[in-house]
Amino acid sequence: MIERHQFLHREFQQETSKELQVFSIIAQSFFQPFSLIDNLLVILTALTAGPGVGFNRAMLFLANGDKLEGKFWLGPASAEKAASIWRVLSTPGIGYLEIIAHNRSFLSSEADALTKRITEISYPLSDASPLIPALAVSSREIILVKDSWHEPLVAPHFLETIDTDEFLCIPLLAEQEVLGEIILDNAITKLPIKGRDIELASICGLIAGNYIYTSRLQRRLVEMKRAAAMGEMAMFVTHQLRNPAVTIGGFVDQLLDPKFPTAKRKRNLQIIRDEVLVMERILLRLGQFFKLQIKEQVPVDVRELLNLVTEAVRPKIADSSVSVNTEVEESLTTIFCDPLHVGEALRNLVDNALDALGPTGQINLSARRNSADWAVISVQDNGRGIPDSVKGKIFEAFVSTKPQGMGLGLPYVKRIVDACGGRIEVESEEGKGTTFRLYLKAKPRERETPR
Amino acid sequence: MRKKILLVEDEKNLCLLYKEELKEAGYSVTAVLDAESALESIKKQSFDLIITDIRMPGKDGIELITRVMAMRKDVPIIINTAYQSYKNDFMTWAADAYVVKSSSMAELKAKIKELIG
Repeated sequence: MIERHQFLHREFQQETSKELQVFSIIAQSFFQPFSLIDNLLVILTALTAGPGVGFNRAMLFLANGDKLEGKFWLGPASAEKAASIWRVLSTPGIGYLEIIAHNRSFLSSEADALTKRITEISYPLSDASPLIPALAVSSREIILVKDSWHEPLVAPHFLETIDTDEFLCIPLLAEQEVLGEIILDNAITKLPIKGRDIELASICGLIAGNYIYTSRLQRRLVEMKRAAAMGEMAMFVTHQLRNPAVTIGGFVDQLLDPKFPTAKRKRNLQIIRDEVLVMERILLRLGQFFKLQIKEQVPVDVRELLNLVTEAVRPKIADSSVSVNTEVEESLTTIFCDPLHVGEALRNLVDNALDALGPTGQINLSARRNSADWAVISVQDNGRGIPDSVKGKIFEAFVSTKPQGMGLGLPYVKRIVDACGGRIEVESEEGKGTTFRLYLKAKPRERETPR
Repeated sequence: MRKKILLVEDEKNLCLLYKEELKEAGYSVTAVLDAESALESIKKQSFDLIITDIRMPGKDGIELITRVMAMRKDVPIIINTAYQSYKNDFMTWAADAYVVKSSSMAELKAKIKELIG
């Protein structure tokens, strides 16, 4: 016998222990597509969700360089407000999503009063003898402050801000990095902070630290990938533009030489003109690639779309023995896409097929239903196929097998199909041919009306 | 006796430009558009210097250099390319000089002079 259980408990049972509720709220937030700040808000929410669950108020500071900067402060501003908020939060059956939604709106409304008090403040982390709150981060220790008004280690300005005589500082750490600090108190209920509360808060601190650390790593990774792609692009564009630039420069220098034979002057001018055209073509292609904007997806007659593509290719095959066949499944009439761009994508694929064929061969352009509401448009040729060495990279920008290719054709096609909410795949065998398949949304088959 | 240079450059106009400029500078120049033709020329006659691009359709410049080395031809090679980044590629060390293409051609001419006079 097996029992199935769900990860997400939308509701808590009354008897669920306080610790389990806190960790459940935090763990569940990681299932949500939340931002870093949202998830940190969840952790603070878990620590302050009601009088019986945890603390009254929670403050978040994040490290930015050598400074500890105030981010937000969650909790009721007064005892009266606390009563009404906690009544809402302790309503039986209330789930974490409701609590988070509540706190999110809370932050942008009345609690702003609290948050505003700390968003403008920051504490240096580079001081030789730091005061609380920076001290907890510098010493990498959890610090419980009691009788704060008589504690010289608390920064006076911070004491005025927090305005309570007992609070707990939890540094947020990961590996060797200092990420921030959470400060918790019971300023409303005046309940003392006990060992069990400190344990709970410290585990939450570890989770928060780790979470910030992971998010930062992830962001750095994305930035690095972007930088690498930019670097590769810059290198490629530099190369593409340097050749014509050097050619133009060289032939202009010849023209500037008074001894240069008059008979060759016109030739030089023609070469310069040609090379300028090459440069313009490169810039145009780059511009197209980076500026692609897909318009709204509209119903498109698939037969008309394929006919336009074959019409466009006809002049190119007039002098060869290449044939282009078109076939559309009868029940398929309408697909949803941007017809202008998808038409361009298909022409691109047919042009590639022509290049792969040479003077003879066959191209099949077909459309059929793949499932109830998906269509697949195929461009198939029996040409030379794609070499295994580049097969995995054909949709990456700046990868080309053609002498003059910029490697933007297929990435452009893929971007179009992606932007239309579709998918592209390729099947190719060297010496046998290539098939590209574009999966796009289609109008469902019309039901036969009963007679 | 004019020094003989084999020039490998796949860009047609650029190939023409280098050919004219090097002839003007007093060299005898054989210009070809790809590595395959270059290898054929090398089999037929000897050269004092080879100048090659790296990125070319078909066999690239690195492969050309490898083949020339395998033929045990003791001929200096200059890489003349639009890419700065290949300078760090270990195979380009096999060449005697690495020049980034420029319309002034002063650097290329200076390297040629340095290598074969």
